[in-house]
Amino acid sequence: MTQLDRPPGAPDPVSVPFTPGMRDNPDELAQFGDEIARDPEVKHDPTPTEEFTEEWRNASYNCFSSGHKFCREVCPVMQVTRNESWTPTAFHANVVAMDKGELSIEEVAGDYVNCTQCGACELRCPNTLFTGDFYRFRTRTVDVVKAVRAFAVESGIHQPAWKTWNARTDDKTHEPVLGEIPIKQENVRDWSAGLDIPIGGESVLFVDCEAAYYRTSVPRAVAQILQLAGYEFGLMGEQWCCGGPAAEMGYVDQAQRFARHNLDNWRSTGTKRILVLDPHDYISFTEDYPKYFGEEFDLEVVLVVELFAELIREGRLTPSVPVERAITYHDPCRLNKRKGVWKEPREILRSIPGLDFSDVDRVTQWSYCSGGGGGLPVEKPELTAAISASRLEKAAALEVDTLVSACPWSERPLSAAGEAVDIDVVDIHELLAASLGIEVGGTTNGSANGSAR
Amino acid sequence: MTVTVEALDELVTALRTVLADDQILTSKTDRYNRARVPAPFPVHRWSERLPDLAVLPTSTEQVAGVVRIANELRVPVVPRDGGTGLTDGAVPLRGGIVVDVKRMNQVKELDLENRTVTVGTGISMLKLNEQLAKHDLFYPDDPASYPCSLVGGRIGTSGWSLIGSRYGHSRDLVLSFDHVLPTGEVMHVGDGIGHKISKSSSGYQLKHLFMGHQGTLGIATEATLKLFPKPEAELSPFWAFDNYDDAYRCVGALARAGVATFAGAVLFDEWKVAYLRRDDEAYIPQPNDVRALVCAVMYGYEDEVRPAGKRLFRIAKDHGARYLGDEISEGDWAARHDRYATPLHGRTKAGQVVPMSWHCEDAAVNYTNLPSVSRAWHEIVADLRRRTDVFDDWGMFTYTSGSTGVDYLTEIDVGIWEQQLDDRAWEMWVKAKRDIAAVALAHNGSISACHGSCREGEVDLVPQELGRGFDVMLDLKRTLDPNNIMNPGKYLLDRAYETGPHA
Repeated sequence: MTQLDRPPGAPDPVSVPFTPGMRDNPDELAQFGDEIARDPEVKHDPTPTEEFTEEWRNASYNCFSSGHKFCREVCPVMQVTRNESWTPTAFHANVVAMDKGELSIEEVAGDYVNCTQCGACELRCPNTLFTGDFYRFRTRTVDVVKAVRAFAVESGIHQPAWKTWNARTDDKTHEPVLGEIPIKQENVRDWSAGLDIPIGGESVLFVDCEAAYYRTSVPRAVAQILQLAGYEFGLMGEQWCCGGPAAEMGYVDQAQRFARHNLDNWRSTGTKRILVLDPHDYISFTEDYPKYFGEEFDLEVVLVVELFAELIREGRLTPSVPVERAITYHDPCRLNKRKGVWKEPREILRSIPGLDFSDVDRVTQWSYCSGGGGGLPVEKPELTAAISASRLEKAAALEVDTLVSACPWSERPLSAAGEAVDIDVVDIHELLAASLGIEVGGTTNGSANGSAR
Repeated sequence: MTVTVEALDELVTALRTVLADDQILTSKTDRYNRARVPAPFPVHRWSERLPDLAVLPTSTEQVAGVVRIANELRVPVVPRDGGTGLTDGAVPLRGGIVVDVKRMNQVKELDLENRTVTVGTGISMLKLNEQLAKHDLFYPDDPASYPCSLVGGRIGTSGWSLIGSRYGHSRDLVLSFDHVLPTGEVMHVGDGIGHKISKSSSGYQLKHLFMGHQGTLGIATEATLKLFPKPEAELSPFWAFDNYDDAYRCVGALARAGVATFAGAVLFDEWKVAYLRRDDEAYIPQPNDVRALVCAVMYGYEDEVRPAGKRLFRIAKDHGARYLGDEISEGDWAARHDRYATPLHGRTKAGQVVPMSWHCEDAAVNYTNLPSVSRAWHEIVADLRRRTDVFDDWGMFTYTSGSTGVDYLTEIDVGIWEQQLDDRAWEMWVKAKRDIAAVALAHNGSISACHGSCREGEVDLVPQELGRGFDVMLDLKRTLDPNNIMNPGKYLLDRAYETGPHA
């Protein structure tokens, strides 16, 4: 039924309920003239702002027209600042205001720093919750934030710390994760000292910059677990930054240049499969690279947390050394919220003997974030610290001694916040390695120039 | 901007005596993002509704300090809490200072013996209940905007709760609060002067006066709330009907049954079902013979909800109801807060999906008048729709307001294609709102049971509804806010200053 029978005396089909667009609707419905509604005006010589808002207008209107702000209480930045100007809805409303000629990119650019791109807002949005993507109108705040940041850079508006950071990364082909300490391309494999890992091959382990230089215990744990399971893999010949952070901060050209380098390098070593331990890389390789290269990007991307869960399931890895710790697990935003990966890390943790695991359900964790993503710690470290402190407060309420994460980028800010409440922050791969009897080595604080000797 | 650059400098300098720099926001984005609420909005006139600045106080003292300065400098003050209100209470009409209370979101005291909690008014019900859950308690104020509206806004609106038929609405659940008067003085207001008193016969009953004023009489900063045991069981059956009349009679019978765990019943009319049917593929399939839906909700202990449910099922069956099953019932009720935010699927008459804002007009109407009000309201929206695709009819809900079924909140949901609004479309909408309010009054109803009625259109009829009572409002406004600084322009209260010494 699309149309109730028109009762006698009803003047026209609009006076009774109907479902617009159904084939059996009366023709009269399409024949009403319209006093107001018009097709949007097509600008022949659009300004850069007009071009930008033309592309993003409807995406932002989908949020603006809802305006209910359910996203607000799960937004990590909002939780610590309580500043409505830095909420997902504001990010969309600004675009609408730009479209109406009320705000300019110069006026709005600074506000868009205040986002970790964790994606919680998208999950909590009624547009997503209620109808999924049925109308292809899912709210995509992360994309809008990235787009505005890119438009700002394109317009010559830079955030000072991001600008420096990207310039340095460009210079070194790596992110300056160690601040002023110089790192070079030849240091990119220092973390693997003594592990005897070949270069290239069908499967290559890609190690993000934070893990390669700062938290070297993480890639060491991953590599040794793979070796223990007899999984053949190599390292990249010349590994550049994945380009993800540049893309997140709006430095699109740089991001694509880096991506091109990496893709070419994989081609040169016959690589078919990339093993990824960092959730941010996982986003780059599964979302950004396919966008840049289309079908040319035909490599398989394997998240090692998922691989390890599978190897444990198959009996190829059997954690047996008890780890006597009271833990809870921090779902990295890019795994749980953005990619829906939450089961496998828990599977791994449940397989480790000795752990007293106080789990928090994955939906509750939508409102948790370390604050370490989206370039926030580069431009506003104090906000990252506040968000991490808030995360650790929640862990402390569970009376645990250890917070386990699966994201190297979260671990530095979480560890710093953990000191205040006497909670250790440990990487899930390291914890698994310990239970497999592996002496990991490496550092968790970037000491000794990131090398692991 | 309503104040000059020099005056703005003077204002900021004065505010710095009570606030830190990061609590005073003057940028354009800060101002634009505090001019907007979910109700459709003449976007083409956005710039007319901007504040001159916004402040983020963290204490009652700071709010009082800001208001005192504003009163001295004669600068308008607009309180903003969640900014989810549908009557634009939080939208500045004359510029000035937006006092955004979101940083006042602490739980100050939890009294497990007397079952109260004292909170900053910037906390949301969702966040509060997350903390109360540890103690098996909850605060049952449950607006559709539950995840993001704030306690202070509930006070300023005197909001309506989806489960109010059992637990009462904001006015019943808020025991008392600290309130900053328009002169910057602070008072504590409750039943009597009570902090944790739920019923007093001492003096005038001032609590109601300072609730629902939409920010025209000051700012609530810290509130003490009544708590209940967290319900052990929830039963929320959805029933389908093949005609509206049976569904209507069923709702009345459910409400009149006097079941103690009954927390509310909702009736969806034919237009609402037709609207939901647009989402068949995406959400709940609605068979063709479904023309109206009824939902009842019970909360309580397992051993009281179960037999009560049996009774309500029996009543529903006697009225021709078909139970939609546990899955749909539980899922649909669980989605009650999201379901109200069903934007994005406005459609033109030809069926094109366009981004539309959701808006609803509400009224308090006696049970016996519901069918007649419903017909008249749909005809008003149909007339808009005949003229333009800027408007779409998203159907009507009717909810019990109390446990006895005397009166109902009834609302019509209208999709508005905001991108297409211009002065003409806006004028058509304002007139429709006026007509909708007039229908409610013609049926001895009240213009609003839920959102307030201070917005362009419906507000024109408020003096007619309240009669001599409206003059009392003017008297009170003039007395309490001699300089008309609190949310000026709202509720036609400027009339209080049109004669006499303050003109």
